[in-house]
Amino acid sequence: MSSTEIIEPAAIEVENLTVSYGSKPALLDVSLTIKKGLLVGVIGPNGAGKSTLIKAILGFVKRDVGVVRIQGIPAEKAKGLAAYVPQRGTVDWDFPVCVKEVAMMGRYGHIPWYRNPGKQDWKMVNEALEMVRMTEFSDRQIGQLSGGQQQRVFMARALAQSSEILLLDEPFAGVDAATERAILDVLDRARSSGRTLVVVHHDLTTAAEYFDRLILIKQRLFAYGKPEAVLDENLLSEVYEGRLRVFSNIKNTQKNSNSQAFS
Amino acid sequence: MISIFEPIIIPLREPFFIKALIGGSIVAVVCGVVGCLVILRRMAFLGDALSHAMIAGVVGGYLFMKLLFGIEAYAPAMLVGSLIAAVLTVFLIGFVSRLSRIKEDTSIGIMYTGVFAAGVVLVSIFKNYVHIDLMHFIMGDVLGMADVDLWASAFIAAFVLSVILLFFRYFQLASFDPIMAASIGMPIVMIDYVLTTCVSLVVVSAVSMVGVILVVGLLITPAATAYLLSDRLDRMMILSALFGLTSIIGGLYLCFWLDSSGGGAIMLFCTFQFLLVLFIAPRYGLIVRWIKLRRMIPQQLAEDIIGSVARHAPVSPAQIRKLLPEHVKIQRAIKSLISENFLRMSDNALMLTPEGQKEAQRIIRSHRLWEAYLQHVGTPGEEIHPKAHNLEHMHDPSTVGYIDDILGHPVQDPHGQEIPEDPSCREPGAIVLLSQLRSGRKVKIVNAPISGMGSELQPGEIIMTGNRQNGGKIWMVENQKGQWIRLDHHAADGVIVECV
Repeated sequence: MSSTEIIEPAAIEVENLTVSYGSKPALLDVSLTIKKGLLVGVIGPNGAGKSTLIKAILGFVKRDVGVVRIQGIPAEKAKGLAAYVPQRGTVDWDFPVCVKEVAMMGRYGHIPWYRNPGKQDWKMVNEALEMVRMTEFSDRQIGQLSGGQQQRVFMARALAQSSEILLLDEPFAGVDAATERAILDVLDRARSSGRTLVVVHHDLTTAAEYFDRLILIKQRLFAYGKPEAVLDENLLSEVYEGRLRVFSNIKNTQKNSNSQAFS
Repeated sequence: MISIFEPIIIPLREPFFIKALIGGSIVAVVCGVVGCLVILRRMAFLGDALSHAMIAGVVGGYLFMKLLFGIEAYAPAMLVGSLIAAVLTVFLIGFVSRLSRIKEDTSIGIMYTGVFAAGVVLVSIFKNYVHIDLMHFIMGDVLGMADVDLWASAFIAAFVLSVILLFFRYFQLASFDPIMAASIGMPIVMIDYVLTTCVSLVVVSAVSMVGVILVVGLLITPAATAYLLSDRLDRMMILSALFGLTSIIGGLYLCFWLDSSGGGAIMLFCTFQFLLVLFIAPRYGLIVRWIKLRRMIPQQLAEDIIGSVARHAPVSPAQIRKLLPEHVKIQRAIKSLISENFLRMSDNALMLTPEGQKEAQRIIRSHRLWEAYLQHVGTPGEEIHPKAHNLEHMHDPSTVGYIDDILGHPVQDPHGQEIPEDPSCREPGAIVLLSQLRSGRKVKIVNAPISGMGSELQPGEIIMTGNRQNGGKIWMVENQKGQWIRLDHHAADGVIVECV
């Protein structure tokens, strides 16, 4: 291990994180360390606490126990170090705001309250829109975009925030196959520029193909590691309690990626 | 000399009218701006609650000064009192909805009527000390505005507008995406409180003009009118302020000409303004929506026409009308399908374009798969066709794919007609399952089962598909060495191939 890796803190560190809503824990004693430059998928059944994990890393939900550090800084002080892409269903698409204004929101953390967005900010917004290929729609109201375009606007906002860490809540939900590839392409480019991405994902069949690491949670952390280790049949059937019909097919399609991973 | 402008000029000679115009304009502008945030955050009911609750505060402030200092109707004290009442109400609402199973809207309803009732009771008990006209309070009196009310509204307006202008980005982001706002360190709870305070201030300054009952209208109607016309928050605020202004001007003239209640006339004008915009707004208006709906060709009709042309081409529009007696708007639908390049017409005969053929194949595939499915679930023979005719419009890839899979990817429908291949399997480079393919296709293996049937296939190998055997239940493929390999449905589903 080189000395720079010791000095450079991990992108995200979570230690003994417990979050509860009322008497039911949403997350229970979750500890994990995500290294810089990885594309990490968060998988688990509905209500497993996937979104809660993202919100806890953002510092939006109250922690009962535990520490979250972003690039070595405790989450409550690490304002704006992690950028957030919300789930599509939680956004008010009728809100009077256009594409470039949403992207500009990424800059808000960098602009003091007494100043207006400057040339530099607009430059970064335009670059971000360019990167997700949304420049031609920059004056469009966000409700008048297709599902994939809507997702890309929020990607642009996260990129404009120039955070090293991007947290995405189900970016692939309800988009067609072509859009899914386009979004994946943006994620790939963000990763190759050195960013760390944590993505809530619901589709197990594509999880191995898309991500470097997978986090399997259902309240507790069941596994964190390379996809071929996490997508273990016993582990998954324990977490999903037999609600996993497609699984035998996944194993079949694993032949190729396994042979690559172990060679 | 009597000019046509007389009705407009005469009221302007009256000082009370001028005063109402100035005071009303100030209040309406600030109401419009704050109202935008109120409707976007769905706080309209809270605005209503605050206006009712303040009567308790006004009476409280009045009594406080009267009993302690002997000062009659001291306006600043009544203002502070109404603010305290508003804050108290907000606190009580939060208290009840957070700590019990009562939801927030119910909690608002309970608390504001309670505080309002307390105010009413106070006024009636101390009616010898407190000279507050309840009717005045409830209905407002824009034409009888006191100077002190005017000054109070001016200060409140200046303060609230400055706060919103300075912290515009904070209000915008906290309303649009509170999670992101919190993550970049915006104090979202604080922003909530500041906004609620601003709403209370605005409501307090507006009540003296339009009264408790109508104030929420002045807060949200101009904002809602602007919402129908704008796609940016800043423009919405400007427009909303403008609509507030026109409501005041129009309403006051209405009130002067009709000799009616001031507040009533203002809100009536404001509501008509909203209704007018609701109908004629260029993008979100009802008329535009109605026209769009009328112009829209139902998907089902378009598909039925394409289907009939595919089955009977060449066919004339008149024949189509005979084939589809249940539909109207056929003429228009055919025209639109021609302009969308699905159909072409020569010598009164309709034909499919290549684009239309693709679409037709999709519909026919869906229709025949649904027929096979209906037979599979035991539908009586004579019902199969009409039912499939309705079901064929459910042809999104995942639905059709699922039906196809549970039927074991059949090649023929119950009438012995061929079910076309999934069109997505025809595109070069498409990654599909071997089980979806028809015979005679040359494809490259991407992935194959590890064990059992089909495990002799290797990734990267080029294979050719043959005819199905055993009633379509066995897939046959030939590798490049000329060997034939048998696969059952499960094994064929496990082989992923790339079309070449």
